[in-house]
Amino acid sequence: MGSSVNLRWSRVANLVPVLFGITLVSFLLLRLVPGDPAQQILGNRYTPEAAAGIRRTLGLDRPLLEQYWMFLKGAMTGSFGESYQYHRPVGELLLDRTGASLMLVGLTAVFCAALSIPLGIWAAVRRGGLVDQATRVLFTLGFALPAFLVGIVLILVFGLTLGWAPIGGYGTGVASHLGHLVLPALTLAIPFSTVLVRSLRSSTITVLEADFVTIARLKGISESRILLRHVLRNAIGPVAVVFGINLAFLVGGTVVVENVFSIPGLGSLLVGAVSTRDYPVVQAVALVLAVFVVLVNLLTDVVHGLLDPRLAAGVQR
Amino acid sequence: MTPSIASPARRTPRTRSTAALGGLLTLALTLSACGGGGTKETADSSPGATSSVDTLKLANAVAVDTLDPIQASANESIWLDQNIYARLVQTDPTGTKIVPDLADKWEISADQLTYTFHLRPGVKFADGTPVTAQDAKWSIERARAGEDSAWGFLITPVTDITATDDQTLTIKLSTPHAPLLADLAMYAYAVLPQKAVEADKDFFDKTPYGAGPFKVTSLSAQSNLVLTRNDNYWGPKPKIKTVEVSIVTDDNTRLLQLQGGQVDVIENPAGNVLKQIQANPKLRVDLFDSTRVDFVSLPLKTKPLDNVKVRQAIKAALDLGRMNTLAYQGNAKVANTFFPYKMLFWDEAAPEPKQDLAKAKQLLADAGYPDGFTIPLIAVSADAAGQAQAVVIKDDLAKIGITVDIQSFELSTAYDKQRPGTNGMGMRYWTNDIIDPDEVATFGADGGGGANAFNSYWKDEAVTALVNQARSETDTTKRADLYAQIQTAIADQVPFIPLAYAPFRYASGSWVKGFKASPLGNYNDSLLTLTVEGH
Repeated sequence: MGSSVNLRWSRVANLVPVLFGITLVSFLLLRLVPGDPAQQILGNRYTPEAAAGIRRTLGLDRPLLEQYWMFLKGAMTGSFGESYQYHRPVGELLLDRTGASLMLVGLTAVFCAALSIPLGIWAAVRRGGLVDQATRVLFTLGFALPAFLVGIVLILVFGLTLGWAPIGGYGTGVASHLGHLVLPALTLAIPFSTVLVRSLRSSTITVLEADFVTIARLKGISESRILLRHVLRNAIGPVAVVFGINLAFLVGGTVVVENVFSIPGLGSLLVGAVSTRDYPVVQAVALVLAVFVVLVNLLTDVVHGLLDPRLAAGVQR
Repeated sequence: MTPSIASPARRTPRTRSTAALGGLLTLALTLSACGGGGTKETADSSPGATSSVDTLKLANAVAVDTLDPIQASANESIWLDQNIYARLVQTDPTGTKIVPDLADKWEISADQLTYTFHLRPGVKFADGTPVTAQDAKWSIERARAGEDSAWGFLITPVTDITATDDQTLTIKLSTPHAPLLADLAMYAYAVLPQKAVEADKDFFDKTPYGAGPFKVTSLSAQSNLVLTRNDNYWGPKPKIKTVEVSIVTDDNTRLLQLQGGQVDVIENPAGNVLKQIQANPKLRVDLFDSTRVDFVSLPLKTKPLDNVKVRQAIKAALDLGRMNTLAYQGNAKVANTFFPYKMLFWDEAAPEPKQDLAKAKQLLADAGYPDGFTIPLIAVSADAAGQAQAVVIKDDLAKIGITVDIQSFELSTAYDKQRPGTNGMGMRYWTNDIIDPDEVATFGADGGGGANAFNSYWKDEAVTALVNQARSETDTTKRADLYAQIQTAIADQVPFIPLAYAPFRYASGSWVKGFKASPLGNYNDSLLTLTVEGH
């Protein structure tokens, strides 16, 4: 067990340079892109004098390295400065926006599980059947369609034609938030689930062919009990890894979906901040999203290790 | 002294669309007045409330940046400021006249150096505290000389502001300054409750209020805000009780939300779906006269644009009518001067530029470029109308041998590339913040001003002198003449070519009666009178 603990701690230690790199790259990329925050703030009223005043106030006239150092120092103490556009502390903006994004990702995960577990097992058990064929077609479609298109189709069908769900915004109160998040979460969950269904199907098939399943059947254990108790538990491991890897892509998806559905989350904050060159906000959101992705990857490894002791033990393979 | 600086000679007949809208408004008011007895507004004590639904839901494309009037830069914030804060004076709905707001009368001394404002008796902020001349003094000082204010440059001749008593405010100037009333009507010079703002540094981030017809009752992370009727407002009570503003950045989603009835009014429906919206009997497209002027800049720092004949040749080669058809489906007007359409001192008599390819070729030959040349044109990638304009420029200039290389960038990048003036021609636009042309004249025609004549780096001492003279001239007839000269000078010297007067675009449900934006873009007057029906 000792080796597995070391493995995880070294992974954690690796995060520091990864996050450092991400902040440096996002900082530099942002400043390499032309476009002046002062221009954005002044708009039509741009004059060189006014712009110089704004740059001085914002500290943009300082050397790049110094600006980066200020950002790092702030980030380490949890202070990300003040948004150029909103004139509010970035930390406050992040707190305001994180809830909506987390709720969206959470609801998406619930939908994913609800869609993919029954469909994946069904497709495996009734191989070549209608559900199996349908999920294959959906897999191709779901993976090929861009999120904004899926979103707009869902809005048209469920929002406008059927009138079942609100088509945008966030509402007030948790119940209302959840109602408003149904369509956006579905938009994310549909392509995501297609991947999970296929991977659950193949791992279930592998397990179904394993000797212990045959033995269980010979013992006279009911088929449903075998599926739930024995097959699912063993088949879900590889799927968890697929889930973890794709969760990172989900973060990218939320950026698009939050804009289509006007959800006040981190993604829509990021898009607005990039187009207005609101440097402190972009840097902070990039860091938060990077931390999220890195943590998910770490958790995926840990979970995978727990589910498959051979990986945790590493050397004993 | 009449509280008007409009020149009667400059008044022009209203356009047909405006008249039709006025008719619709009257019809709506009559109809809603007839049906008023049966509405559910009985609990509401305000007289004349005839809106059967008491909330208007508005979807904007751009988030509110801040509700502090001296810091706001997004139009969408500025327009809301005007519903929340009252000023000493305000602009009328036509965008051409100054009319009373908190001050119901004012005197201007014979030498034009002293303005004395008298506050309306009994005016109150939304919290019920009285508005005093001291509040006005403090607010104007804050906008004029405050550390965070970007607007001091408008009223530099102001030397002293004194609150003589609770209801009298005196403003002294070093030289006559014709745009003073127009400047004070601007959102930045809103009268704020001094004590409340000073007591809470987060005043503008929570639920700010002033003495306007509405107050903010909910402000949620710049994603939506709720305005509620201010019952202490001095003027006519709005017929609706609440305005909910949501931010929906995606063009398609905004339209879908309107189609689904989730919102009542959306701003900036995409230009290419206007016909489709109009085909839906439940929806309506409104195009309001605006102060927007689209132009292409011809910066003198890019060769051979330093040659005036080349600039004139480019202008003569353009077919602005065709450009308007392609870019705005004919919904804009061809620009005849760089002043906004129908604004104060806009030169109505200035001729519309006409395409004349023979003249263009001759000018180009005279300038020494009989075979033309190649030049970049910087355009904004997400702007469909601007892209169409750029394509027409490329096509028309090809006819006289000039090869245009269209380079499209995202907005921030495009402006960054245009600013130095060395990277070729550029697509730009202007909108006014005040009704007086001093602002646009300073930015566009004063080569000595900070904006380098819209970054064209064109400079003409005589025209700069005209701009300064026009600002201090208080005789409206003489001012009109000075501004006509300035507009002619730009038309002749062509540092930039005004292309189109584009309207403000809104789409709304037919159940909304009377939504209207003024040429400055604000809709505070229409929110006082509009009604919303059940749908």
